[in-house]
Amino acid sequence: MVSGGGGSAVALAPGRLADRNFKYYMIFPAVLVILLIGLFPVIYTLIISFQNLTMMDEDTSFHGLMHYRALFEDARFWESLLHTFIFVAVALPAELLLGLAMAYLFLERLPGRQIFVALLVLPVVTSPIIAGATWRLLFDNQFGPINQILGWFAGEPVPIIWLVDPNFVYPAILIAEIWQWTPFMFLLLLAALSNVDKSQTEAAELDGASFLRTFRLIVLPAIWPVMAIAVLIRALDLFRLFDVVWALTRGGPGTSTETISIYAYVAGFQQFETSYTAAMAFVVIVILAVSITLVLRRLEIDR
Amino acid sequence: MARLSIRGLHKFYGKFEALKGIDLDIAEGEFCVFVGPSGCGKSTLLRTIAGLEDVDDGAIDIDGEVVNTLRPRDRNIAMVFQNYALYPYLTVFENIAFGLRARKTPDTQVRERVGRAAEMLGITALLDRTPRQLSGGQRQRVAIGRAVVRDARLFLFDEPLSNLDAQLRDGMRAEIKRLHQEIGKTTIYVTHDQIEAMTLADRIVLMRDGLIEQQGAPLDLFERPATRFVASFLGSPQMNFMPCRLERRDGAATIVFADGRTLAFGAERSADLSAHEGRDLVIGIRPEHMSRALPDRPPAAGAAPISVLVDLVQPTGTRTYAQFRIGEVEVTVELPAHIVEHPGTTIDLLVDMTRVVLIDPKTDKVLSNGTGETG
Amino acid sequence: MRADKGTGLALRYVAAVAVTIVFLFPIYWLASISFKTPDEIFASPPAWWPEQIQFANYAVLFKDGDVVTIWNSLVIASVSTVCAMLLGTMCAYSIARFRTGGNLFSDWIISNRMIPPIVIVFPVFLLYVRLGWVDTYIGLIVLYTAFNLPYVIWMMRGYIQDIPLELEESALVDGCTRWQVFWKVVLPMARGGLFATAVFTFVFAWNEFIFALVLTRSEVTTFPVQVTHYFGGQSNFWAKIAAMSMLGTVPIFIAVALLQRFLVRGISLGAVKG
Repeated sequence: MVSGGGGSAVALAPGRLADRNFKYYMIFPAVLVILLIGLFPVIYTLIISFQNLTMMDEDTSFHGLMHYRALFEDARFWESLLHTFIFVAVALPAELLLGLAMAYLFLERLPGRQIFVALLVLPVVTSPIIAGATWRLLFDNQFGPINQILGWFAGEPVPIIWLVDPNFVYPAILIAEIWQWTPFMFLLLLAALSNVDKSQTEAAELDGASFLRTFRLIVLPAIWPVMAIAVLIRALDLFRLFDVVWALTRGGPGTSTETISIYAYVAGFQQFETSYTAAMAFVVIVILAVSITLVLRRLEIDR
Repeated sequence: MARLSIRGLHKFYGKFEALKGIDLDIAEGEFCVFVGPSGCGKSTLLRTIAGLEDVDDGAIDIDGEVVNTLRPRDRNIAMVFQNYALYPYLTVFENIAFGLRARKTPDTQVRERVGRAAEMLGITALLDRTPRQLSGGQRQRVAIGRAVVRDARLFLFDEPLSNLDAQLRDGMRAEIKRLHQEIGKTTIYVTHDQIEAMTLADRIVLMRDGLIEQQGAPLDLFERPATRFVASFLGSPQMNFMPCRLERRDGAATIVFADGRTLAFGAERSADLSAHEGRDLVIGIRPEHMSRALPDRPPAAGAAPISVLVDLVQPTGTRTYAQFRIGEVEVTVELPAHIVEHPGTTIDLLVDMTRVVLIDPKTDKVLSNGTGETG
Repeated sequence: MRADKGTGLALRYVAAVAVTIVFLFPIYWLASISFKTPDEIFASPPAWWPEQIQFANYAVLFKDGDVVTIWNSLVIASVSTVCAMLLGTMCAYSIARFRTGGNLFSDWIISNRMIPPIVIVFPVFLLYVRLGWVDTYIGLIVLYTAFNLPYVIWMMRGYIQDIPLELEESALVDGCTRWQVFWKVVLPMARGGLFATAVFTFVFAWNEFIFALVLTRSEVTTFPVQVTHYFGGQSNFWAKIAAMSMLGTVPIFIAVALLQRFLVRGISLGAVKG
């Protein structure tokens, strides 16, 4: 009967082992698939960027930092970064402030609020390329309704050629972008504001604090965690802005609205500068990694 | 049915040692209650027995088989959880049948056994409902049904009544005890409530800071606590503890309080206490071991008189609690309901000196327990 | 005081209606064009509504076979959603309950969501050329699965953490294996979160443009790419743009309407639990 205890322990040992490794079995398939977008692109991009591949030329020899040097001297690259930065710098605060204002509008009791909110979310879930296409129709200088409506206010026909006129192409893209994503900010900030302890704001109002003071001292700290994440998500989205611009102008007129994503697409898939594009892509990854790390560290300190 | 034997059990959470070496034997069919303040390790101990927590050192042995490395499902244990752990997406029937189905029991047998368990618990009419439609007490019954339906060798209860209101709790407590008498399975029950522990247990295991402070039959622990902690944990209202000095006066061992008042032991205990004479001690007196002195009747043997100034009176209906001070210490005495004094009056009490407890203030160990029996 | 409150409410109501009209007008315009005749589309000043609802613009899409792009989108988005949900929920369970890989692993997972698609698609395209996966279902399905996995893991981790641990422990004691606990307890308990996350995952894949633009030619073109094919510079494709856009957008609106309760949590990456 010596084998009794020992035998059962051996028989069950594999089961126990399976239990211990269960958590690794569970993550393994997901990790494998994520590597396709998470690790492979970074490494492969880095490798290619040191070679000299084009559509015509399979030159895999080591060319060092050649493409990075070229990139550094490429005005079009710097301009596309600048364009991207303009979109982020204008659209992000605009969406935040408009979204905040709308959230305050819907914060207190309002009949049918649920329905309003349900309708206002529609732009967010629309495909960005469809949103771009829609605004393309809206901005048409002849048959679009925008010029018509502006004409009513101006009292005379308005002949703006939105998507070609350099003075109006940025506002046009920004309007489409802000239209689509302000409701995103609105929804998140509305949820955050609804969770602010009302007795605190009321107490502050009774103490005679102004709206701005109450907002700065009580509301803002309370909604900050959600707001920070909303801003972070939108900032990252705006940094890779592609669809709306592609639908409206394809980076034009000329290259005047070209974002970094669009320039990379053009260089890689229309001009077939494979290695050069890889260098560009890698620089984008580095810029992102550095700025995210900085932002997160900043948030960590605030906490 | 099963015997359980635990040897040298240690459990760490990081650096925190939750169990510091537990040795415990539970006999077949015994109803064992782990009781203690929160954080004492009683739930952890239960969970290691269930296999929900790994053990860092020591052995858990069920019926002669060390189960340390067995998965919970291979230990053949049934457990009732504090929050009932019912599945909201299953009917009551399927909730009770869950364990049987997991073990691939044939459908006819599932039907029969669930039916029998439901009948035993009086929830046959609820079988088609979902947990959401049940009251707290009904949910608790279903949770117990989940455990009894399986032919487990060991029943574990993890504070199963703590989410019920007071009235329901009393009813369910009685029911759990009756259930144990019917089924007779070895049962381990965790609670922080000393009344549950006293009423349910064949044996109480009183835990503190990851160690077993004392174990034994409920009345044993109540009457012969080994430490001040045990004496204070069991009994409601709590035992009164007062610093004092033990001296010999007029041939009898006598308690002397700082304010000069005294309590003299009877001859029988006086002899036993001679070794501790001249020491500073703590005396423990349960509130129910003091009574009003009746002027027309002489005090019983071993009762010592003391006059006290009542400063607070709390009637509860069945009994009335009066409080007075001895030195710095607020002392509670339990009196019959209708002997109510106004605060500020002085009354004469008799202390049953056969039942007081003497404690060493340095070690908190009980030096001398009472000889009388409760009742 | 009371009258004041009433006026305030009325003013806010007017403002709310105005804001909603502004935000819905583009969608209305898109819908109206899809029902307009060519004369109405190219009227100046524009016709504010179609004289009568007619489906000729949609009929053309069916006749020319362009709707196959909707079918392509449906296949790719559905299959990739199922894959991402299955693999992602498994991984999320492991992270939520066993802290597998610690915080670093979780951070790495979600950071993959932040990489710009153009950076991903470029090397993936080169890889797919070798594999022969360009312009195939499998190519886009695998890529969308990978791209959506971080989102699924991140969201499901939150939903799984909301499930009381007792339910799982009870199942373990009752005789379930770890895998059975996952199927019989965790998945049913997370039904709401699973559904919401699946819808959002589907929407991302359905709406996605860059990957589809780069990795399709003609065989598996998705509807967003098809819409851009109509931008010929010639305005006479307006009707097709509008009708195809509507076909691709209305189902999304309906799907999202079904999960109002999970909406905010879904789009905020779980930051707001609503």
